[in-house]
Amino acid sequence: MASSNLAHAQTAKPRPSDLELVALNGMFDEKDGLSVLRHALTGDVSPAPIAMVSSFGADSSVLLHMVAQINPNQEVLFLETGKHFAETLEYIEITKKHLGLTNVRFLEPDTKDVERFDPKGNLWETDPDSCCHIRKTEPLDAALKTYGGWVTGRKRFQTNDRGVLPHFELTTDERIKVNPLAYWDNDDVAAYRKAHDLPAHPLFLKGFLSIGCEPCTSVVKEGEDPRSGRWRGKDKTECGIHFDVSGKIAHPTVEIGQKPMNLFKNGAFVADLWRDLKEDEAVTDLDHVHIPFDVYLENREEIDANPRDLGLILRPGDDVDALGEAAKQFSSIVVEFPAFTDGRGYSYARLLRERYNYEGELRARGDILTDQVAYFLRCGFDALTVQNEATKKALQNDDLGSVNLFMQPIGASQEVPVGTRPFLRRAK
Amino acid sequence: MYRYDEFDAAFVRQRTEQFAHQVKRRLSGELTEEQFRPLRLMNGLYLQLHAYMLRVAVPYGTLNSTQMRKLAHIARTYDRGYGHFTTRQNIQYNWPKLKDVPAILEELASVEMHAIQTSGNCIRNVTTDQFAGAAADEIIDPRPVAEIIRQWSSLHPEFSYLPRKFKIAITGAPQDRAAVKFHDIGLMAATNDAGDVGWRVFVGGGLGRTPMVAKEISDYVPHEYLLPYLEAILRVYNMYGRRDNKYKARIKILVHETGIETIREQVEAEFAEIKEGVLKLPQGELTRITEYFAAPNFEPQTETKIDVAQFEATDSAYARFLKHNLHPHAKDGYVSVTISLKPIGGVPGDATDTQMEAVADLAEQYSFDELRVTHEQNLVLPHVAIKDVRAVYDALVANDLQEGNAGLISDIIACPGLDYCALANARSIPIAQAISEKFADREEEFGELKLKISGCINACGHHHVGHIGILGVEKKGTELYQITVGGDATENASVGTILGRGVVPEEVPNALEKLLDRYMAERTGPEESFLAAYRRLGDAPFKEALYG
Repeated sequence: MASSNLAHAQTAKPRPSDLELVALNGMFDEKDGLSVLRHALTGDVSPAPIAMVSSFGADSSVLLHMVAQINPNQEVLFLETGKHFAETLEYIEITKKHLGLTNVRFLEPDTKDVERFDPKGNLWETDPDSCCHIRKTEPLDAALKTYGGWVTGRKRFQTNDRGVLPHFELTTDERIKVNPLAYWDNDDVAAYRKAHDLPAHPLFLKGFLSIGCEPCTSVVKEGEDPRSGRWRGKDKTECGIHFDVSGKIAHPTVEIGQKPMNLFKNGAFVADLWRDLKEDEAVTDLDHVHIPFDVYLENREEIDANPRDLGLILRPGDDVDALGEAAKQFSSIVVEFPAFTDGRGYSYARLLRERYNYEGELRARGDILTDQVAYFLRCGFDALTVQNEATKKALQNDDLGSVNLFMQPIGASQEVPVGTRPFLRRAK
Repeated sequence: MYRYDEFDAAFVRQRTEQFAHQVKRRLSGELTEEQFRPLRLMNGLYLQLHAYMLRVAVPYGTLNSTQMRKLAHIARTYDRGYGHFTTRQNIQYNWPKLKDVPAILEELASVEMHAIQTSGNCIRNVTTDQFAGAAADEIIDPRPVAEIIRQWSSLHPEFSYLPRKFKIAITGAPQDRAAVKFHDIGLMAATNDAGDVGWRVFVGGGLGRTPMVAKEISDYVPHEYLLPYLEAILRVYNMYGRRDNKYKARIKILVHETGIETIREQVEAEFAEIKEGVLKLPQGELTRITEYFAAPNFEPQTETKIDVAQFEATDSAYARFLKHNLHPHAKDGYVSVTISLKPIGGVPGDATDTQMEAVADLAEQYSFDELRVTHEQNLVLPHVAIKDVRAVYDALVANDLQEGNAGLISDIIACPGLDYCALANARSIPIAQAISEKFADREEEFGELKLKISGCINACGHHHVGHIGILGVEKKGTELYQITVGGDATENASVGTILGRGVVPEEVPNALEKLLDRYMAERTGPEESFLAAYRRLGDAPFKEALYG
C-alpha cells in the first residue's frame, strides 16, 4: 500500500498536451494569481473541471478570497485527516463566513484503512508517509477522479524543491496541478491579506508558518524555511499529494460533432438546394446534384447531355486543366478542402475563374477557418460550406477580422485600384 | 531603403489588429491551442521548449537605426534583454509572453516592421546579400526586386497554404553571399546578349534532411516578367508538390522526383498563360521602387586605404578586425563593416539591448542610418567612410562587439539547438562556444573557414554547407556529433561529405583540431583555404586524421 500513489488513479479524461500547458504558462503575469485561478476554474484548461483544494492553513485565505470573487459557490475540498488542530477547524468556519463560501466539502479517510493501518491513531510516529497516504493521498485521490486536476497554494519560495514551480504543471497521472500563487512570496501574501482584511489562522499568530496536521507541525523559528516546521526531525518535506511533476502525456481527443451543411452566400447563411451524388447512384435525370469529378469523367456524355442544373465536386489532386472550359456548363462547382493546410483548391479556383472563364457558383467546402475566408473570396469563391462553429459565428457577426488591403493583384476578383496606388496594391 | 507609405502602414496595422484579436480569443479560451496554432504560426509565433518564441521579419536583412532601437526596446521590455539574429536575416525573441505579443507587434508596426510570414507554409521573408547596394562586385542592387517580391508575396491568397514553407533568395553580385542555390528559388543577376540585366532562376535547392543544390530553370528572365515567372513556379508547386509527407513536401523533392526538364515545361506552360497578365511589372513601378534604394550622398574621401601592417605590432586585435571585417565598397573611400556577433565563447547571433542600441548609434553616425543582418548571423554597417573605421571600432570595443573574426573558424553559424528548440536532438550553442574557445589563438593561421553547426537533421545551422559542418544527433539517449567537410554555400555550391561515425560532445574540439592540423600540414600555402585543400585532396586524408 505504501508504494501506491496518485498515479494509480483511474482518469479517463484527457488533458491538454504538454505544449499547451507550456502555452498556458506564458499567458499570465507571474503574480496575477487571480487570472490563473479564474482560467483554471472557468476556462478550458481541461475537459473535466479543476478542483479547488484548500488546507485552510496559514495563508490559504488568499486563494479562498480569490475563489470567492470568482464564484462563492465553488466547491472547496478540505482533507479532514482527523488529526487537525482544533484551531484549523475553527478557522474554516471563520473563513467561510468572512468570504461567503457556501460549498466546503470535507474529505475523510476511509474508515477501513484507518482501522487496518492506524488502529491506535499513532501511525504518524512510526511511518508518517503511510499516515499521509491513508489520511490525505487516498481520500484526495478518490475525490479527484472526476476532475481534470486541482488547484494548490504552493509557492516557489516555500522550499528549494519548489524553485521551478510553474502556474500550470504536468503530473504523471494525466491531470493538471494549478499553482496560482507559484510566484508569490511572503510579502505578497501579507500585502494581499492586509489589502483585503483577511482573517489570519489562529496558529499563524503563534509562529506556525505552514500548518498541517497537529502531530506533525511545529513552530518555525525565524530564518528557517517556512515549511521546516512540517515533519520536523523526519526526512520528509512533502506529503505525497504534490509529488509527481512530470510524465507521459495524453493528447486531447477533440470530438467534432457532425453538423448539417451550412451554405454561406452573398453575406448570409442560406438554404442549400443542392445535394451530393450518392455512392453508386445512377447519373441519369439528375437535378441540382454535385457530381464527383471522377464520376463525371466516366459518364461524360450522359452528363453533358443533361440540360438541368448540375454541379461538380473537385478534390485535391483532380486535374482542373482536364476539365478546362467544360466547367462552364455547370452551375455550381464545389472545391473540397479536406484539411485547411491543403491549399491546392486556391489554385483550382483561380484557374477556373481566370483561365477557363467559369462564372457559376464556386463553393469552398471543408475545414474552413475564419482566417481563410478572405483568401477564398479573393481567389474567386463566392460561396462557402462551413462546418466550423467558430467560423460560422464569425461570418454571421461579420467579424472575420480580415486584412482587406491587398499587396498583389489577382486576376479574377473585382478589386478596385485605390487612387493612384501602384499596380501591385488594391483595396477592397 | 524602402519606406512605408500610408498603404503599407494600414496593411500592417490591420494585420496587427487581426492578430491581437486572435490572441484575445486564445486568452479568453474561445480558441484552443490547436485552433490557435496555425494562426500564430502565420505571425511568426512559435511554441518552443520553454516558452513562446516570436520571430520578427527583417525584410532582406535591412534595418535603420530607429528600427534597431525598437528591437532593443522590445528585448528589454518584453524579453530578457537580448534578441537572437538568425540565418534568415531575422531576429527572434525567446521569452515573450503571449499576452504581450500584440503589444510587441504594435511597437514593431510603429517602425514599419512585423512578423508576417516568418513561419507557416507560405512564402517567407526574402533574403539577400548583406552587402547589397554597397559591394564593389555588384552588377545590380537586388533590394528593389526583393521589395517587389516581398509585396507580391505578402498574404498571397493562393500561396498561403503551400505544401511546405517557401524561401526565396536573391543576389545581384557574381559572388553569391546569399546562398541562393540552397533556397526553394534562387535568383542571380544575369546579363543577356543585348546587355540588359535580368535574372537567372534556380529552383529546388535546400538543406534539411535532404540537402540539394538548386537547378537552373531559366538562364534569363527580364525584370518585367519576374513576378509572372515566380507565380508560375509557385502554382506548379502548389498543385503538384507532395502533401503526403511533411519531409518530402519542399519543392526540392518535387524537382528531384519529377525532373527539372518536366518542371521547366510545366512552369513555362503556366508562364506563357499569365506572362502578359496583371503581374507584368511596368517599368514605372520598378523605377518608383528603385528610387527608395538610391545610394546615399557619399562624399569624396581623401583617405581611401588603411595600412593594416602598421597596426600588427601595436594593436593586433584592431589589425585582425581590419583584415577580416571590412568588405570592399563600390565607392572609393568607403567600406562595409561586419560587426561580429560571435564573441569567443559567446552565443552565435545573440545581441543585448545595449549592443543593439550601440549599433543603431553607429549606423546613424557613420553609415547613413543603414544596417544589415547577415545570414551568417552578424550585423553590417554597409557604408562606412574609411576615415571613420577607427572610431567605429573603438565604439565596438566599448560594447564587446569588436571581434575581428568574420569568415574565420569562430564566425560560427549555429542553430539554437536543444537549449531552446523543441525539435533539436542535441545542443549546438555549447559546442560552438567550446570550439571558438579552443581555436581562439589559432584561427588566423587557418584563414577562411566556414564552420556551421546544427542540433538536428533539420539543418537550421546550415551544416551541410559548412567547409566544416557539425550535425548533432541523438543515439540511445546520448548526443553525438557527425562531422562533414567540403560544403559550400556560394556560387560554387556543394554539399559536405560525412567523414564517419559521430563523436561525443567533449571530443568535438579535439576532432576539429585533428582535421585542421592535417590541413595545415597538407596545404600548399596560406593562400590555399581549407575548402580548396579539401577539393584538391578529397576526404581520405581527413578521414585518416580523424579516425586513424
